[in-house]
Amino acid sequence: MRIPRGELRRSRVVDDAAAVLRTVLDEELTGYVVFEPQDALLLGETTRGVVTFEDGIPVLAYDTEREVGGRDGLEGFAVTGPTRAAVHAVDADALADAHEVEAFRVPPGEPARVLAGDERLAAKTTDAAPAARREEGRDQSAVESFLADADAIEEIRSEAREEARARASEWGLDDVLADDADDADDADDADDADAAAIDVGPDSR
Amino acid sequence: MVEAFAVASGKGGTGKTTSTLALGMALAEDYDVTVIDADTGMANLLFHAGLDDADVTLHDLLVDERDAAVSDAVYERFGLSVVPCGTSLAAFEAADPGRLRDVVAELAADTDVLLLDSPAALGSKSAVLPVVLADRIVVVLQPTVPSLSDGLKVQEYAHSYGTDTAGVVFNRVRPDENVDRIAEQAGRYFGGQTLASVPESDAVRAARREGKPLLAHAPDDPAADAFREAAARLDVRDGDGREVAERFKSAVVPERI
Repeated sequence: MRIPRGELRRSRVVDDAAAVLRTVLDEELTGYVVFEPQDALLLGETTRGVVTFEDGIPVLAYDTEREVGGRDGLEGFAVTGPTRAAVHAVDADALADAHEVEAFRVPPGEPARVLAGDERLAAKTTDAAPAARREEGRDQSAVESFLADADAIEEIRSEAREEARARASEWGLDDVLADDADDADDADDADDADAAAIDVGPDSR
Repeated sequence: MVEAFAVASGKGGTGKTTSTLALGMALAEDYDVTVIDADTGMANLLFHAGLDDADVTLHDLLVDERDAAVSDAVYERFGLSVVPCGTSLAAFEAADPGRLRDVVAELAADTDVLLLDSPAALGSKSAVLPVVLADRIVVVLQPTVPSLSDGLKVQEYAHSYGTDTAGVVFNRVRPDENVDRIAEQAGRYFGGQTLASVPESDAVRAARREGKPLLAHAPDDPAADAFREAAARLDVRDGDGREVAERFKSAVVPERI
């Protein structure tokens, strides 16, 4: 992917990608930010990714090391810990061609969600995006493929379970954890015999 | 008889507050319902319920020095008992999330159904507490990958604390989206049942602007019908109010984070 070299505004190491995304949103940057997680450097690896912005709203994401774009690209440089963020301003016209590359586009809130795990910032960014962009990421076939991938879903669930238990200790909530949390109301064995039919209604908009 | 539900989503923008008040108003046809804005960091239920100028809010009940009685923060609106939360960041910082347990316990003694509007986050103790305290969660989802993924996460958190899933509401569904298929697939992973598919509606925004719950502003809107349908499918379990209150009181929640 070719992105015109912009004017470097600032480059600094930050604890959290959310801080950079928030600033870029506030200042309505048109340009790009190069993220370089610092932990990877210590391990002798290079991890680097670019997110482009239009008026502060993320448009594209690209992992420059693995050469992968879009949401998968974002995940390549979503490393926790300090990251160097180099903020560049570019003329909107100069970015127009790059922004045509559909495969690299990400929904507005996705960088905040994936790079920083910050749902509120993701929601705020989505709210600030133009109406047409707020609907991105609502692709029914993507939803159906996501739900069809039982292994990936189990991974999300087991990660969340581990995270919940780890945080419970951190917050002193150990004692209220269920002993048999793994068995609690598992939908898999619920048969869905009484799952209700859905009727949106003919006059719904 | 009392059951406490946390209305949760894990992700912002799914219409959780709208859903909480809509389910609350629909359930109020048959039950005595109390709605609590447990999103103490980003409260907005007060705007939806026309309580912008409420003098005493949940924040006052969660701060040590303030000497407010729980009943001072309960407002009778739209056939519901509403406990709004304030929007001051300073009050949020001074609030002791552990005290939510006592507030919930006191309110539980005196109502049939408690609905806790929960934060759209899982990153802090105060955000997770409503899910810890509730008997069951109602998950509000949009038919999108991020929303489903976050809904699964919040459900796992809830299950870790022994809180089951009562059901799932698909909200803000666009006319071109076939939620039947998605709901059928999602049913393999989410507990409870699919309670309803609520169509995206301009009436929701208009209601919010007017400071009224959807069911008060536009009772005949298709979205309002869908929420009533969801409430009808929710099988509220019988329980003894005093027992529930006792359970909340004995839940081991440390005093400070």
